[in-house]
Amino acid sequence: MKLLQTEILIAKHLKNSVFKNSAVFIITLFIGLILLYAAFSGWENYTNQNETSEKYQHESREDWLKNPDKNPHRMAHYGNFAFRKSTPLSVFEFGMEPFFGNAIFLEAHKQNTANFSEAGFSNSMLRFGEISIAMVLQILLPLLIFFLGFNAVAAERENGTLKLLLSQGISWKQLLLGKVLGIASVIMMLFIPTIIVLVFIWLLLQNFTISVDETIKMVLFIGFHFIYLIFFCVIAVLISASSKTSKKALISLIGIWLVFTIILPRTTQAIGAYIYQAPSKIQFNSDIEKDILKQGDSHNPNDLHYKAIKDSLLSVYKVDSVQKLPFNYSGFIMTEGEKISSRIYNKHLEKLLQVYEKQNSFSKTISFFNPYIAMKNLSMGLSNTDYDSYIDFQKQAEEYRYNMAQKMNALQVKYISNKKPGPNEKPLTINKEHWADIAEFHYETKGVSDVLKSEIVSVISIILWIILLPVLIRIAAKNLKAI
Amino acid sequence: MLALLFKNFIRSKGTKIGLIFLLIIGFISLLIGQQFQQKQHNTITEAAVYQKEHIARNAAFHKDEIGLLLYYIKFSLVNKTLPINSLAIGQRDVNPSIQSVTIRGLEAQKYDAELNNPNNLLSGNIDFSFVLIYLFPLLIIAFSYNLVSEEKESGTWKIVATQTENTFLYILKLFYIRILSLILLLTIVLFVAVLFLNIPFDTSLLTFYGLSVLYILFWFSISFFIVSLQKNSNFNAVILLTIWLFLIIILPAIINTYVVNKYPIPEALELTVKQRNAYHEKWDMDKKITMDKFYNHYPQFKKYPLPEGEFNWLWYYAMQQAGDDDSSKQSQELENKLQQRNNASQLIAQFIPTLHTQIQLNEIAKSDLGNQLLFLKETKLFHEKMRLYFYPKIFDNAEVSKENWSKFKVETFSDSSEISLLKAFLPLLLFNLVLICFGWRNFKRKVFS
Repeated sequence: MKLLQTEILIAKHLKNSVFKNSAVFIITLFIGLILLYAAFSGWENYTNQNETSEKYQHESREDWLKNPDKNPHRMAHYGNFAFRKSTPLSVFEFGMEPFFGNAIFLEAHKQNTANFSEAGFSNSMLRFGEISIAMVLQILLPLLIFFLGFNAVAAERENGTLKLLLSQGISWKQLLLGKVLGIASVIMMLFIPTIIVLVFIWLLLQNFTISVDETIKMVLFIGFHFIYLIFFCVIAVLISASSKTSKKALISLIGIWLVFTIILPRTTQAIGAYIYQAPSKIQFNSDIEKDILKQGDSHNPNDLHYKAIKDSLLSVYKVDSVQKLPFNYSGFIMTEGEKISSRIYNKHLEKLLQVYEKQNSFSKTISFFNPYIAMKNLSMGLSNTDYDSYIDFQKQAEEYRYNMAQKMNALQVKYISNKKPGPNEKPLTINKEHWADIAEFHYETKGVSDVLKSEIVSVISIILWIILLPVLIRIAAKNLKAI
Repeated sequence: MLALLFKNFIRSKGTKIGLIFLLIIGFISLLIGQQFQQKQHNTITEAAVYQKEHIARNAAFHKDEIGLLLYYIKFSLVNKTLPINSLAIGQRDVNPSIQSVTIRGLEAQKYDAELNNPNNLLSGNIDFSFVLIYLFPLLIIAFSYNLVSEEKESGTWKIVATQTENTFLYILKLFYIRILSLILLLTIVLFVAVLFLNIPFDTSLLTFYGLSVLYILFWFSISFFIVSLQKNSNFNAVILLTIWLFLIIILPAIINTYVVNKYPIPEALELTVKQRNAYHEKWDMDKKITMDKFYNHYPQFKKYPLPEGEFNWLWYYAMQQAGDDDSSKQSQELENKLQQRNNASQLIAQFIPTLHTQIQLNEIAKSDLGNQLLFLKETKLFHEKMRLYFYPKIFDNAEVSKENWSKFKVETFSDSSEISLLKAFLPLLLFNLVLICFGWRNFKRKVFS
C-alpha cells in the first residue's frame, strides 16, 4: 500500500478539486438520472416485449392443439409461429433488437420473413438511437471522463504547478497513474451504484434463479465495461499531459470521442454496405424460384424430375398407377419437394448472409482501432442482441419449420389413403392427437462460449488495448516534458 | 473590414480542414444517396420483369383453373421513390417500397418485412440529412465557441474594443461570415445534388432547402446565445457540445423510448395469431356460415350460389375473405396505434429542433412512418381492386386464356400529401428568434456597459 501512496494522494487531490466544480456535480447527477431512466424504461420494454411474445406463443400453441381431425397437409399450412424472446441482459443493452422482426410464421413450402420489428412501427426518431444503460456506459461516460480529465495535467502545466510537483520528486509515472486513479475514482461513484442496481434488476427479472451461463455473461458484461472505462481515463490523462494548454487537450479529446462513437461506427458500416451490395427481396426470391424450377416443379405434371421419381416408384412396387402404391403418393412427393426447396433456399440464404458478413467485416476490423465498436459488439453479443444472435434465431425457426412440414408429410404418407375421395365424400383426415407430436417452438439463446467465439475480434482487441495501456503510460512517462 | 475578417477566418488551418471535411462527406452522402436511388430503381425494374414472367408462367401451367391460378399469382404495388428521397432516406431502408400480394387474405401478407442486414440499420445511413443534422452543428460549434472569448484570453479584445466603434456590430460580422460560409457550403452540396440525383426544382426542394437553412441558423443562434454569456472558451466548448449531445443523442433517445413504452403494439402479434385462426377454422365449419358472411360483405355476389361438392373456389375465396373480415378489428386497432405513435412523435418533435428537422425532411422526402401508413392503406385498396376484378371470373370459372394477362403491370402509388410550410418552419423560426433576442440582451448588458 505504501508503494502507491503518492499516487493515491494525487488521486484524492484531483477528486476533491473535481467536486468543488458545481458544473461537474450537476452533470454527474444528471447522468445518474439518465441511468435510472434507462434502467426503468429498459425494464418496461423488456417485460412488455416478453410478456406479449410469451402470451401469443402460448395462445398460438393452444390454437394449434385445438384443431380437430384434419388432413396433415392442412395442418402444415395452418402452421406455427416463432416469437422472439429477449434475454435478461437485453434490459441493459438493446443492441439491434429494434430492427429485429419479432414473429415468423412457419408453414409448409414457404420461408416467411421475420415481421413486426419495432423499427417498422416507428418513425425516423428511432434512428437517433435509444437510451439504455449500455449506451450511457459506452457513450456518455467516456465523454464525462474527458470533461473531467482534460485539464488533469494541462491545467497544472498552465498555472505552473506541474514544475513544482515534478521538482518535488514525484515521477511522471506516479503523476499519470495518480491522475488516472483520481478520474477513475470519480467515475466509479457512478459506475458502482449502476452495477448494483443492474445486478439487482437482473436478479429480479429471473426471480433470483440464475443459470451459470447467464451469470458468466453478466460478469463479463460488467468486467469489460470496467476495463473500457479505465481505458478512457488513461486516454484523457495522456492527452491532457501531452497538450500545451487545457483548451487544446479538450478539443483533442472531444475530437477523439466524436470519431470513436459517432463518426467511425457509421462510416465503416456505410463503406461495407456501399462496397458489397445485398440483393433486394424481389431478386432474392426470384433467384430461388428460378433454381427450384430448374430442379423440378412439383406442381407441373410433366416435370422431368418428378416424372422420374414416379416411374422408379412404380417399377419398385410393381404397380401401374400411383393410386396403387401402398403409401400416400402426394405426401411422398411433397416430402421430396420440401427437401429440394429448403435446400435451395438455404443455399441462397447462405450466400446472402455472406454478403452481410462482408458488409460487417469493415466495422469488425475497425474495432482494433476503436474500443467503442469492440465494446458495443461484445456487449450486444453478451445480451444476445447482436447480428449473430438474430441469424441464429432465424435459423432455429427455419429448422423448426422444416421439421414440422416434414413431420406432417410423414403423417400423410403413413396414414392418408392413396385413393382420392370422390367429389361429395368427406376429405381424408387423421386423428387430432397427432398434433401434440410437434413440440412447441423454443428459442435457445446462444451460450457464452458461442458468443465469445463469434465476437472473438472484439475480445482480442480489448485485450490488446489492456496490454497497450501500461506501455503507453511508460512511453509517456519517459518522453513528457514539464513545459 | 468584412473582407479582412473573412480572410482571417478562412486562413486558419482548422477552418479549411473543417470546411473541406464537410464538403467531402457531403459529396459522399450524395454517392450513398445515388446508390440507394439506383437500388430502388433496379428493384422496381426487376419487379416489373418478374411479374410479367411469373404471371405468364403460371397462366401456362394452370390454364384450366382460374381459381387455382389466382392462388399463386402475385401483383405488385410500388411506393414511388422521389429523387429527393436520396437526400433523406429515413425509414425507406427499413420498410419495403414494394408490396407483392396475391388476392388471398391480405392480413397475412401486408406486413411482410424487407430483407435487411440489421447492422446497416442500426448504424444508420450517411445520407445528406445525417450530414446536415449531425455534422453541420459540430462545425458551427467549432467555428464559434471561441468567438470573443479567445480574444479576451489572448488579450487582443481590448484592442478590438477600443478600435471599433460598435463592438456588437463587430460580433455580428464575425457571425455573419461564418453563417455565410456554411450556407454557401450547403448551397453547393444541394446544387450538386440537384444535378447529380436529378432532383426536380420544385416546392419540395425549396422547402427542403429552407428547412436546412433554418436549421443551420438555429445552431448559430445557440452559439450566439452561449457566446453572449461571455464565459471562457473551455466553458463554451463543453456547454455547446453538451447541448449538441442533448439535442442529437439524449433527448431523441429518451423521447423514442417514451413513445415506444407509452404505445406498445401487442396488436401486431394479436392480429397475426387471429387472422390465422379466422381463415383456417372455416375449413372445419359448416360452409353456410362462411358463405353467409361472404354474401353479407358482397351482396353483389349473391347470384353465385354455392355449388354441390366438397370443394370449390367460391367457398375457398370466401374463407380467405373471412380471414380478413374477422380480423379487421385487430387490423384497425394496429393501424390506429401506429397513427397514434406517429402523431405523438411529431407533436413532441416540434419542441426539439433536431428531431423536428429530421422528421420534416423525411416527410418532404416521403420516407417516414406517415408515408408507410399511407402505402399500407393504398395496398389494401389495390388488393381490394384486384379481388373484385377476379372474384366474378373465378366464380364463373372463366377461361384462363380469355384473359389478357399482360395487362397486369406493376402499379405505382405516389404519396401526394402536402407539407405545411407553417408547421415545418414555425418551430425553428421561434427557437431562432428567442435565442437571438436573449443573446442580444446579454450582449447589450455586458459589451456596451
